[in-house]
Amino acid sequence: MIDIIIFIILLVLGYGFGRLLETSHYRSILRREQAFRGILLIATRTPPPDLIPRKIQLVAGNVVISVDYFKRFLASLRNIFGGRVQSYESLLDRARREAILRMKAEARALGADMVFNIKLETASIYKGHKNTIGAVEVLAYGTACVPHNREA
Amino acid sequence: MEYENPEIPEGINVSREHPLKEFAVLVGGTVALILAIVLILGWLAESIATRIPFSYEQEIAGDIGHDVSDNPAQAAIERELQSLAEGLAKHMQLPPEMRIRVHYVDDDTVNAFATLGGHVIMFRGLLEKMPNENALAMVLAHEIAHVRHRDPIVSLGRGVVVGLALAAITGVSGSNLSDSVFGSAGTLTALSFSRNQERAADTSAVAAVAAHYGHVNGATAVFDLFSRLEAEHPLKPPEFMASHPNSSGRRDGIAEQADLHDWPTEGILTPLPQVLQVSE
Repeated sequence: MIDIIIFIILLVLGYGFGRLLETSHYRSILRREQAFRGILLIATRTPPPDLIPRKIQLVAGNVVISVDYFKRFLASLRNIFGGRVQSYESLLDRARREAILRMKAEARALGADMVFNIKLETASIYKGHKNTIGAVEVLAYGTACVPHNREA
Repeated sequence: MEYENPEIPEGINVSREHPLKEFAVLVGGTVALILAIVLILGWLAESIATRIPFSYEQEIAGDIGHDVSDNPAQAAIERELQSLAEGLAKHMQLPPEMRIRVHYVDDDTVNAFATLGGHVIMFRGLLEKMPNENALAMVLAHEIAHVRHRDPIVSLGRGVVVGLALAAITGVSGSNLSDSVFGSAGTLTALSFSRNQERAADTSAVAAVAAHYGHVNGATAVFDLFSRLEAEHPLKPPEFMASHPNSSGRRDGIAEQADLHDWPTEGILTPLPQVLQVSE
């Protein structure tokens, strides 16, 4: 019985804090995405031939986000029924966007206005009991181009 | 060359469904799945378990009760209980190979139960609360009826099969979270004999008591006693309650049986034999 009570408390805490953090994180992501709209992200491997940047440099952004108890429980139930693991979708979406934003922040600090050859890497850095993913790491990296008319 | 990053609309990579809705659907589905498994497998196990020969059941039971006490007083109580049980069993159409063995445990626990292999365990805590032999006979006959109906092996079969199935499911789901939840759900369902089993045991027991004494006076008194104990200790009801719920409902069931078969509800109560009048 005590097990069930602890479980329900953890579930409620997980839901409450998870929801709160996710909402405020998304608010921050949306605000910063607007702020960094000036920096273009290009997936091609090389800059266009007519662009002659003053300087190019590797930029990277890295983030680790943990999943809350509630989401983990939802995902474990999904293992029985199948279907979209909705509780992890927002986790990965947040991590991806946050990593890109951190990379963009680094690019802005250099004075860059474009980042080429964007790559994203994802890793579950902590596998909990019985391989339940506990936290996810997303690394975003690319080549920042600093134009001639801009100073770092 | 012109480059641009158009604004990507929200909600492409993330489902906007409310997580509580998903939670409700998934938990509801899981509970329904477990209930279906417990019901179907439990039913299958029950129908198979009653076909297991009693001699196998005795083998499973193994050494229960072989540690007969050296204490002569305790052995005397056990003998007395055994002879009362055998007297009752004569009226219960037990199959020839089914032997009842009563064991007495000198412990405060207010309980009596039947287990595998025809063993019936009686605790001092319950025996010392028995007002007369008729009440004791009702309790013993009830436990003998469980043996007669093969309830212990049915329970065991149900518990094992359902437990295995749940272990299989939670193993697939791969999470200790679901383990803990479904694990306890499983034990709750396999905790004791079902209400129907209890009722059937009551019916057989009261018939045996009626045949043994010629009346059922004292039989219903057992449940009055339990209801009283329950009321006296609402926070810590006797263990007998946990495994034998709903005393007042069962009391009415017995009264109904007596009515149906015209068993006299009045009659001379037999006092407990001297040796069974125990106290701490």
